[in-house]
Amino acid sequence: MAEKNADTQLDLLQGTLDLLILKAVSLGPLHGYGVLLRIQQISGQSLVIQQGSLYPALYRLEHQGAITSDWGESENNRRAKFYRLTAAGRMRLEEETDKWNRMAGIMGVILLTEPEGV
Amino acid sequence: MKRLHLLLSRMVAASRSWFLAVSQRNRVESEMEAELANHLENLTADLVRSGYSKTEAARCARIALGSTAVHKFEMRSSLGLRWWDELGADLRYGVRILRKSPGFTAIATISLTLAIGANATIFSVAKQLLYDRLSVPHAADLRLFSWTGTEEHVAVHSIWGDYDRLPGGRVTSTAFSYSAYQQLRAGNRVLGDLFAFKRESMNATIHGTAQRVRGESVSGNYYAVLGVQPILGRGIIPEDDAKPEQGAVAVIGYGLWEREFGRSPTVLGQVIRVNEVPLTIVGVNPREFTSANDVQTPADVFLPLNMQPLISPKPGRVQPVYDPNLWWVNIMGRARPGVDDRTAQASLDTQLAAVVRGTMTVDPKDDIPRMDLRDGSRGLFEQRAMFARPMAVLMTSVGLVLLLACANIANLMLARGTRRQREISVRMALGAGRARILRQMLVESLMLAALGGAFGSLAGYLGRNVIPRMFEMSWQRSDLDVHFDWRVFAFTAGVTLLTGVLFGLAPAFAAARYDVNRGLKETTQTASRRRSVLGGRALVGFQIALSTVLVIGAGLFLRTLVGLSAVDVGFRTDHLLLMEINPQRTQYPPGKDIELHQRLVEAIATVPGVEAVTPSQVVYIADNRMRRDFLPESEQNLHRKSEAEFYNVVGENFFPTLGIPIVAGRGFGQQDTATSLKVGVINESLARKRFSNQNPIGKRFAISTQDRDRHSVHAWVEIVGVCKDTRYSNLRTEPPPQFFLLFTQQPEVGAMSYEIRTTMKPESILPGLRRVAQQIAPDLPLANVRTQDQQIEAAMQQERVFVTLTSGFGVLALALASVGVYGIMAYSVAQRTNEIGIRLALGALPGQVRGMILRESSWLAGLGVAAGAIAALVLCRLLRSMLYGIRPDDPATMAAGVAILLAVALAASWIPARRAAGVEPFEALRHE
Repeated sequence: MAEKNADTQLDLLQGTLDLLILKAVSLGPLHGYGVLLRIQQISGQSLVIQQGSLYPALYRLEHQGAITSDWGESENNRRAKFYRLTAAGRMRLEEETDKWNRMAGIMGVILLTEPEGV
Repeated sequence: MKRLHLLLSRMVAASRSWFLAVSQRNRVESEMEAELANHLENLTADLVRSGYSKTEAARCARIALGSTAVHKFEMRSSLGLRWWDELGADLRYGVRILRKSPGFTAIATISLTLAIGANATIFSVAKQLLYDRLSVPHAADLRLFSWTGTEEHVAVHSIWGDYDRLPGGRVTSTAFSYSAYQQLRAGNRVLGDLFAFKRESMNATIHGTAQRVRGESVSGNYYAVLGVQPILGRGIIPEDDAKPEQGAVAVIGYGLWEREFGRSPTVLGQVIRVNEVPLTIVGVNPREFTSANDVQTPADVFLPLNMQPLISPKPGRVQPVYDPNLWWVNIMGRARPGVDDRTAQASLDTQLAAVVRGTMTVDPKDDIPRMDLRDGSRGLFEQRAMFARPMAVLMTSVGLVLLLACANIANLMLARGTRRQREISVRMALGAGRARILRQMLVESLMLAALGGAFGSLAGYLGRNVIPRMFEMSWQRSDLDVHFDWRVFAFTAGVTLLTGVLFGLAPAFAAARYDVNRGLKETTQTASRRRSVLGGRALVGFQIALSTVLVIGAGLFLRTLVGLSAVDVGFRTDHLLLMEINPQRTQYPPGKDIELHQRLVEAIATVPGVEAVTPSQVVYIADNRMRRDFLPESEQNLHRKSEAEFYNVVGENFFPTLGIPIVAGRGFGQQDTATSLKVGVINESLARKRFSNQNPIGKRFAISTQDRDRHSVHAWVEIVGVCKDTRYSNLRTEPPPQFFLLFTQQPEVGAMSYEIRTTMKPESILPGLRRVAQQIAPDLPLANVRTQDQQIEAAMQQERVFVTLTSGFGVLALALASVGVYGIMAYSVAQRTNEIGIRLALGALPGQVRGMILRESSWLAGLGVAAGAIAALVLCRLLRSMLYGIRPDDPATMAAGVAILLAVALAASWIPARRAAGVEPFEALRHE
């Protein structure tokens, strides 16, 4: 995966990993590797996630009560830790999505501004 | 709203998760391990599926995931475990460091233990005396009634209760007339129901033995309004107090119940005699309840206020409950929600004015007392006037001692920090941040502080009753036990934390400031930095200054005590036994009481070992005061307000018994009897004041008294003698003008004290005294038996406690300061070994080197002492009212304090100086 075509891939913006994780687990319980796969799958392989930074982020979100986890059987019959979104996490996801959209809109407007004739 | 909710839920979740992670550390670790292994496995499997060989796939997967150790570290940080782990490491490291230098640890712990222990002890006493509230529900709502008026013209002339001067010629009191209480209560719309009470010492006969008890006469609603529920039986209820002189019931205090009834439940219904009036016990108070009067001394017997005319009849006057002119009861009420104190006070003030005009005859020039609503949560809170300033002085002193201890430890740590410079430089070179070093040093000092705090709390707990015992008078029962509760504990913990930060901060910053390169390059020998030595010197100078303040303060109190001990009271105090006998009016009506005292005097005179005996109403140096109008015949037409003077009612042997010389005329004698001419003696001050340029012998003066039908009349008394001055109520006040009347010539006297001059040890005649008293008046206890010397000792009690404590603090301060001086000089000598070696090698004499070191320390001491003396000049001015016979800037005390400090500082630097002089030049230079 690391040696995918570098032109089509984007590095993650600061602070967006949490939002992505929240979104990924909002679609259904996932274990850590599953979160990674889900994000890559949705983004069409165009986002690079440092695999190592995924787990500290998951632990941080769980620590903050946005997600919760329990141990269960994975698809290959291994014990795995599955993460789910909590009520607080859902609220946070909504809020952060909102904020992201507003930000994106504003950025879009600013970047599309043409020089005006004097 | 949503934000806040999110934030709150996040905080709750975080602390819960942190706690789980800390408490189930092993599980967290193994889960992290498993999760990362899982990830690796999944990734490898996917790579194998996309065509990699097994080994290649495993390798790529490991590269993609990166270092699991780093990830786990990050994951722990996410859980908030990192600072926790680091703290653990800091603590372990700190323990190792402290154990490595046991001498330093011991000195620091001991000085902190002493300083924190002293602070905890003083604070626990101050808290008990000045901050504790009555143990009743919602004590903060209680309001105490008091009034203020001008000293000259207030309409209230007759007070039985407290009476204090305010600045500006005003006076204040919490005493009200009973009718004022009734009318205020009826008209009150601004507070809850008002209740009244009066604390008084009483005689109680329980199981046939008489004893002095603290009685509290209370209104019928007292228990209801205070919200106190007796643990046995019931409280005083309105029916008990409904009719005057009926309601012979009593509720007893827990202490009395324990002492006299062994906490037996059968106490209810038993009859005790209080001032010879039989009262049925109907209830027992809870242990914590002292009374509405104060927090410190629990009352023993509570009885209805309307019993006053029977329980404590006042000789020769209208009984207080019927007398609107006598102001004596204390009134309290609870604040009402929605009515602020100013509104309540204004309304009650109007009411009080109406009550005064309605119940008393008010002279046009008199002013009406103004209502002053006080905080009642601590009862009458009389101890504030007594103890607020002494406690402030003591708290300041112990605070200074603590500061000194802090300076000492900071100093030691700074010196040690220089030695640890290499270690710290290595740690910084290995990547420790400055914040991390700072924290490490702070953790170490907080650990030291915690050690000191733990031992200090223990010392404070063990010593909690030391100070109250010091105040105790040997012949009185004291119930004052200092409670060591959570507030004292919180105070100690706070002080500990503060000291830890205080003495740790400077060394910590010094450590974090080190330059890594220099620290590594230079050897410990040369790594000394001018700055930290300077910092250390400043600290030692500060210590010397603080000690100077404390030593001078202690010196002032010592001089005060010496001054008081040297006071000539004007009579012989040795071999003089004092006691009180308080006959009750019900049993000994007017006339009978005098007869009783006469018989007692005669009987006591026959007891072996008694040289002379006399009764008197006022015992000297015992805070007893009696004043009454004194109008010489010559001033009768002057139309001046007759002036009251201090007086005493005594027996005929009074002057010889006490050894007070008669300077003119004669003393009382056999010829002065109940039926003969009324005679009096005055002292020299009174003769000077009221009979200047006249011979007072043979002159007459008028006193107001009562005839048999209780009408107020003037009685004429002829002066037959003038005696020397004596001190009166205390040691501090100069002898006041005073006159003496003969008790056998009074209509009635009530309670009297006895002064008994003995030829042997005063205590040894006590059994004989008890025997004759038992024969004549079996119901009357001999109360307050003590010697005049003990009484005078007691009058100096506060000064003595003060001298003990402040000298203790002074010595502690000296010890700490000398350790400081020794430490800094020894350190300085060690740093300069090379230089000294060179000086000696170049021909300096050892004496010169010693002189050099001593000069250096004298400079330090001189500056510190000068600063301390200036501070003492400023601070000791606040002590003025507590001193006697000495100015707060007394030059001798100042000089002595300065000399002591200089001597101690020089003595402390003598050893380092000698060591410097003894340096072997060869050794010192080879050290390089």
